[in-house]
Amino acid sequence: MNTIALVGNPNSGKTTLFNALTGSNQRVGNWPGVTVEKKEGNFKFKSNIYTVIDLPGTYSLGSFSEDEIIARNYIINGNPNVVINVVDATNIERNLYLTTQLLEMGAKVVVALNMVDEAEAKNIEIDIQALSDKLGAPVIPTVASKKKGIEDLISKAVEIIDKDMDCKANISYGQSIDQEIENIKKFLKGKELAYPPQWIAVKFLEGDKEVLSMIKEKDEEIYKNLESMLEEDSLAELELEIVDKRYEFINNITSLAVKKPKENIDTITDKIDRIVTHKYLGLPIFALIMFIVFQLTFSIGQDLLGGFVGSGIEILGGKIEALLINANAADWIISFVIDGIFGGVGAVVEFVPLILVLYTLMGFLEDSGYMARAAYIMDNIMRHLGLQGKTFISMIIGFGCNVPGVMATRTLENRKDKMIAILINPFMSCGARIPIYLVFISAFFPDKGGLVLFLLYALGIAVALLVAKIFSKTLFKGEASYFIMELPPYRIPTAINVFRNMWDNVSEFLKRAGTIIFAVVTLLWILAMLPMGVEPYSQSSLLGHIGTAIAPIFKPAGYGTWQASVGLFSGIAAKEAVVAILGMVYAGVEEGTELVKAIQSAFTPLSAVSFMVMTLLYTPCAATLGAIKKETGSYKWMIFSAVYSFLVAWILSVIVYQVGTFIGLS
Amino acid sequence: MLKEILRMLTEEKYISKSKIAEKLNTTEDVIEHAFSQLSEMGYIKEDSTKDCNYKCKGCSFASLCNKVPLNTIIITEKGEKILNN
Repeated sequence: MNTIALVGNPNSGKTTLFNALTGSNQRVGNWPGVTVEKKEGNFKFKSNIYTVIDLPGTYSLGSFSEDEIIARNYIINGNPNVVINVVDATNIERNLYLTTQLLEMGAKVVVALNMVDEAEAKNIEIDIQALSDKLGAPVIPTVASKKKGIEDLISKAVEIIDKDMDCKANISYGQSIDQEIENIKKFLKGKELAYPPQWIAVKFLEGDKEVLSMIKEKDEEIYKNLESMLEEDSLAELELEIVDKRYEFINNITSLAVKKPKENIDTITDKIDRIVTHKYLGLPIFALIMFIVFQLTFSIGQDLLGGFVGSGIEILGGKIEALLINANAADWIISFVIDGIFGGVGAVVEFVPLILVLYTLMGFLEDSGYMARAAYIMDNIMRHLGLQGKTFISMIIGFGCNVPGVMATRTLENRKDKMIAILINPFMSCGARIPIYLVFISAFFPDKGGLVLFLLYALGIAVALLVAKIFSKTLFKGEASYFIMELPPYRIPTAINVFRNMWDNVSEFLKRAGTIIFAVVTLLWILAMLPMGVEPYSQSSLLGHIGTAIAPIFKPAGYGTWQASVGLFSGIAAKEAVVAILGMVYAGVEEGTELVKAIQSAFTPLSAVSFMVMTLLYTPCAATLGAIKKETGSYKWMIFSAVYSFLVAWILSVIVYQVGTFIGLS
Repeated sequence: MLKEILRMLTEEKYISKSKIAEKLNTTEDVIEHAFSQLSEMGYIKEDSTKDCNYKCKGCSFASLCNKVPLNTIIITEKGEKILNN
């Protein structure tokens, strides 16, 4: 029975053609020794039955992937009678690379020029005869999805099975390489290697590992002789040269046989990039965009949507409290549900509208391709500071959550870059810190919310850059490594992507509120109730004692109260817990006390700023500390991160408060 | 073409594959393929924030990760060597 192999690039329509050829006569198995699926089937043509083998989709026949090796080994060792190479007519330049390699192997090739209807729709004109002449192989236009051209393709494939055809790409790799190929061919003459000598010669010069080890296994002497014919260094040059010659060969063919409409190259992307990535304008534009994002977050999230969730929680809390009272529930249950859950967890959930708006806007920027430009702009600044710009990618991820931000540093090979990136990531203001800022902004700066939020984010970046510079000069000396960034084209953000981005963040926020924050609130609520008989939420409770013990540390920063101290303490478990605990301890003292009002009486505008600076910069949350331990592989660096960031935060917080007091801002 | 791409990478701070395709009078898909080849042959190293290849898939924070579609390219020692020759 004759065998036909189907080979082509992924998405070239190869499987559609396979289905069109074989219909329901298919069998699925695995290629020997690997988990790659092997599909074969039969078809009948003029009373003969032919077997079709669907080879894995591949762009080339190198030795870099399992698919490539399976495809080429089958073509060489499986001895198919003919190879049908499926070529996507809309993407002919790329597809012809595989064709060229098939012809180099000396396989009998029929090209199925697939999707010609789509090519026509795109005004791509292909001269089939010229293409066939230049390739030295028959080319049959097909539309596999509509079963067009299948009969012609089959009859051409069947026709050449018995023909003694010489389908060989007439590629010249340049005088010296051609000479080397000839030398190797001469040397291999008469030696049994089961592969065509021309192909072995080309692959040897390309440094193909699979072929090299095959030769070595078969005959070490041949291998040594071949190796001695070339120096190691020249091999590297040769592999590039050979690939370049294949492209040149393809280019010569397509310039004759393919006509494409000229695309408008000077795109909108180029025009926008000229401005937004400008040496001097880039950073101010980035700052302005972020300022607008924060401003809109407040205008829409607070002024427009704000209050809905808060009122909802208040009404629901009231109804549940009434229900519990009517059901004669114990006082501690009512206290836990109303003060703990509604006062604590509810205080966090109240800020969902702002989170929703912020991440919708951020999703818009990310999906449009602008954030890649932001990374590029920051990369420039980081290079000036002698730092690895790639660090900023982990920093951008840290804006969502510091845990993936720290984990993203795995892509940095240089230890210096990686350690610095890990240690500065917690200074990036993550989503969990937003509710803390929002409570204080609502209490003291309701009209300047966008500006305050923007300044806090900017302060986080500035501190991170400064600390990174200090670390690179002290703890982690060494050369920074550089990279080139690929900027994707701008595109209009899709609603689904923007929504998904927003939903990922909001759902994570709610999930954390319902799990970690709930657990922290429960634990601290118990501490606020103990010892038995003590006034709940008072300074005499266990929670009050803990807070009182820590409070003196924060006195120079302007918020040396036990409530603020336990709030910050709980933030080490999870940052949102700060608001939850403040909500619980203030709501518990006086029935119905609103958190914002309680904050207004417990803080001054200056101590509020000092507190926000502290929460921006101090000790990372437990999950981030865990990620730091995992990525550095050391408890030492985890503890270092916890302690040094606390010191940085405390020093800056104290400076803000003391300088502010000194100049009369208190 | 591959050598020319390598050279372009050393000259630019950022690249766009469409620009390279325009300069080399070919398509973006071919350039995409050329980049994969350079990467497979060890001349460059490509990193994409979109590919979560770092055992992040089982991570509960993965949904918050890798949102910025950013590809970065580093010219390896092998790449530098060939350019210096």
